[in-house]
Amino acid sequence: MHLRLCLSPFLNCFTGYKVFGGDFVSTRYYDVIVIGGGIVGSTVARELSRYDIKVAVLDKASELPSGASRANSGMVHAGYDDEPGSIKAQFCPKGNLIYKNLREELDFTLNEVGSYVCALDKDEIAHLELLLEQGKKNGVPSVEIISGDELRSREPNASREIIAALWAPTGCTINNFEAVLAFMDNAQQNGVELFLETEMLDVILSQDKRQVVGVKTNRGMFLSPIVINAAGVHSDEVARMVGDDSFIIHPRRGDYFISDKYVGNLVKSFFFACPSEAGKGITVASTTDHNLLMGPTSIFQVDRNKTATTAEGLDQVIEGARRLIPPIPINMAITTFAGLRADPDTGDFVIGILKKPHGFVNVAGIKSPGFTSAPAIAQHIVERMKNELKDLVEFKPNRKFVPERRHIPRFAYLSMEERSDLAKEDPRYAQIVCRCESVTEGQVIEAIRRGARTVAAVKIWTRAGAGRCQGGFCGPRVIDILARELNIPREEVTRHGGHSRMLVGKTKEYWFREGRL
Amino acid sequence: MFIERRIICTSCPVGCFMIVTEENGKIVSISGSSCPRGEEYAKVELTDPRRVFASTIRVEGGVLSVCPVRSKEPVPKDKIFDITKAVARVKIKAPIEIGQIIIKNVCDTSVDIVASRSLPAKQSADTVAQGG
Amino acid sequence: MSDITVDVAVIGAGPAGIAAGVGAKKAGAERVVIFERDWDLGGILQQCIHPGFGLHIFGEELTGPEYMHRWISKAREVGVEFLMNSMVFHMEDDGSFWIMNPSLGIKKVTPKSVVLAMGCRERPLGALGIPGTRPAGIYTAGTAQRLVNMEGYMPGNKVVILGSGDVGLIMARRMIWEGAEVLGVYEIMPWPGGLRRNIAQCLDDYGIPFHLEETVVEIHGKDRLEGVTVAKVDMNRKPIVGTERLVGCDTLLLAVGLIPENELSRMAGVAINPVTQGPYVNELLQTSKPKIFAAGNVVIVYDLVDWVSKEGERAGKNAALFAAGELKEPARKIKILGGSNVRLYSPQWLSGQADATIYMRVAQPIEKRCKVIVEPGAYEKQLRYARPGEMSEVQIKAEYVQSLGDVAEILVDIREA
Repeated sequence: MHLRLCLSPFLNCFTGYKVFGGDFVSTRYYDVIVIGGGIVGSTVARELSRYDIKVAVLDKASELPSGASRANSGMVHAGYDDEPGSIKAQFCPKGNLIYKNLREELDFTLNEVGSYVCALDKDEIAHLELLLEQGKKNGVPSVEIISGDELRSREPNASREIIAALWAPTGCTINNFEAVLAFMDNAQQNGVELFLETEMLDVILSQDKRQVVGVKTNRGMFLSPIVINAAGVHSDEVARMVGDDSFIIHPRRGDYFISDKYVGNLVKSFFFACPSEAGKGITVASTTDHNLLMGPTSIFQVDRNKTATTAEGLDQVIEGARRLIPPIPINMAITTFAGLRADPDTGDFVIGILKKPHGFVNVAGIKSPGFTSAPAIAQHIVERMKNELKDLVEFKPNRKFVPERRHIPRFAYLSMEERSDLAKEDPRYAQIVCRCESVTEGQVIEAIRRGARTVAAVKIWTRAGAGRCQGGFCGPRVIDILARELNIPREEVTRHGGHSRMLVGKTKEYWFREGRL
Repeated sequence: MFIERRIICTSCPVGCFMIVTEENGKIVSISGSSCPRGEEYAKVELTDPRRVFASTIRVEGGVLSVCPVRSKEPVPKDKIFDITKAVARVKIKAPIEIGQIIIKNVCDTSVDIVASRSLPAKQSADTVAQGG
Repeated sequence: MSDITVDVAVIGAGPAGIAAGVGAKKAGAERVVIFERDWDLGGILQQCIHPGFGLHIFGEELTGPEYMHRWISKAREVGVEFLMNSMVFHMEDDGSFWIMNPSLGIKKVTPKSVVLAMGCRERPLGALGIPGTRPAGIYTAGTAQRLVNMEGYMPGNKVVILGSGDVGLIMARRMIWEGAEVLGVYEIMPWPGGLRRNIAQCLDDYGIPFHLEETVVEIHGKDRLEGVTVAKVDMNRKPIVGTERLVGCDTLLLAVGLIPENELSRMAGVAINPVTQGPYVNELLQTSKPKIFAAGNVVIVYDLVDWVSKEGERAGKNAALFAAGELKEPARKIKILGGSNVRLYSPQWLSGQADATIYMRVAQPIEKRCKVIVEPGAYEKQLRYARPGEMSEVQIKAEYVQSLGDVAEILVDIREA
């Protein structure tokens, strides 16, 4: 507990510090603090939960995942995209394997559908050959180039313009919401504490700036000798707080469309246009929930908090998607979204343990294939921390570590027998809340029990509101259940925390205000 | 002096577009209506415009916390907001029967505000739990 | 899991479903059960508390709940059974289906015939591809209507309405009466989506600006909606650069169209018309699966509930005849084609077994005398006007269909007289 000792001079200089917003939490003490609860933060948190140490994950969002882990293509890449020898190439194929191994244990949805990169002309074929070569060097299994006709015999809706395709059978679609929740849920079951709506304001260093002592947040101080920077698109800002300016994140926005399920079967596998300077190109895929996903664009932008789509971006997506799969109909979209990728100027992942300040760990700039690589990166960095930071924290095994966890029952995908059993056990599993995605009241209540506090969180946990009517039907019902279960007035229910209240008051109230009656 | 007024008939979904010509405050012609109801509507609209009022009232102990109500007949248009306020004040106990008079002779219009649906009371256990 | 056996099963207790129950009972079906996912009967009409329903059927203008009260009473009188809180969540191609109900659990229902009456849903924001953020405060007009009229909550205080469908217009007035500010209604088309009288009595009465050929081009606000950018559109419905204006608001209500709700129909393999987005039906309201009938907004989005009820009764009656084995295999199958000014129509097929009513919506408004024509031959019906927001209908006698000889197709169109 030398930590507390070295803190005292420091604490003095912060007397009278004002906390912005949120409920003040008195100073808390941890062994490790993880900044950011995206796929990187959650996989790292789960790895750390194997040890008998006190871990806190802080995220400024009101629900996980937020940021790029929430808004992405939902793909586990095969690993042929990355330059052999790069850090990305080292972790991507490993991450691919880990997901497949953990699918049962952590109960998230992953479909081994394979992926195609499509070539529309000779230059693009040359590019496929390059990718093939890279794939082989990176150890990606069974990757091959097939003809356009072969592609169309497997995927009849593929464009006639496609002359060849790179087939990688190990590419998968993943429910990225479920995956992040799974890692974090399991980490929490094993003792990790999660703080949402907790925005990190600064990293606290010892007076000589040689040692990390914690972080300052809108909810008070979290003290810890180790701070892990998994702050995604903000990770360079966090690094600069400790004087590390070795990399800069250039946020790159990706706009996406999600279609109604009735066109979800237009493709079986993941389709990529040939990559360009800007990124992997527009993709078309059938998600794990059988919607068609189209996107992303790749647009540099300065604002790191803005995830607004643009008209040009959305037009690009539709145009690009139809170039691969021409039968995509108009009016099939049910929603659009945009995500910001954390694109580092170094061109590669920024993974490392700083010498100064001691205790600061970067897991930053985890851009594509970041989602795929995350579990491999987490294993790697925690292994290194055990050696390089053992003077700060003792990594004794957590004897109570339970590797398995179960997701909330996915009513829509259960057999009739399973549904029947569930409904018998708890009749709330026979009360529909979301008709489009067949989500029951039982699921919503379970999501709230596991920490969902907002309409968006309920959607992420259960898919209530993620369907064709986008919450038109279930919206009022979800507000009602949240209010009831959290014992708050309905007016206090938010869409995604902060000031995002769903309702502004009761009817008739207006006439009672300001002496109108 | 002639005045021409254009009004849209609201007495049925057709929504006839009518031109009413007045001379010294008296209607001299009505054109554009396609049924006798339209002419009637135009006359009333110029002298004593009326609308049906429909809103909700607050309910205690019902399966819903509000119950729809309506004015049994059209009420003078300029009294709509007075009626809105009168209705806002009301809070009644469930059960409610469709047609039940909620406010008699609302704002001296000689029109009643009536319930437009039946609303059963919440199960008694629930009522206790809700403190109602 | 014991099965529930019924003669005619109706899915949905809204206006179409309840009328179908009545129609089936009247036609002699023994056990007619309506399966409803809500605790309440009446469907969406229970939240439509304004008057304007039933002029054609009851000769007076009722509110939604009053209109449904009459039909529910009628259904109870004739012995229709109801199963509430019962969501139909899966349907097989033989018309049998699965329900879930908190007290019964999961049950399979095997009917002799089925009437699909699930109604429609509202087009959500995502379907429009409007760029910008996704803050709280964006609701479809129908969801807002439920919140205000059934739950007693206000979705917002400063409202912009996108689209001029009737629910949006009605909600403009409703929000004003609850003290909200309604800043304007924006319609991308050059004509209103809803009835003209609703423009008069819901917008004009309260001085709410109505902007034709304008739309929302961007959404602003991170947490709660802070405003929308609106712009004029050109003839191709594309925003005109330079006409953008920012409108500060905390609420955006969407009244941008209704889509028939056919997830179950698709599961059962019923053929869906990509234009109406409802099942292909003949004049008996029979779908491509002979055992499965469909009525109301699940088939085509109607303008008036009276037509929905009438079609519901028709579907119920024919479903009852089918259940009793009295419906003959159609001797003929004549396809109905829509003319150039007919955007949507239903039914799409005629069997010649009964008189038919063809409902249509025009693509372009005709604000003068016009006529419905049916080719080949005898039919012509005079209309005073035809508007996209309202349906036109024409009655066709069974004898006409039978007299067509070798003709495989007929054409309906609405043209200037």
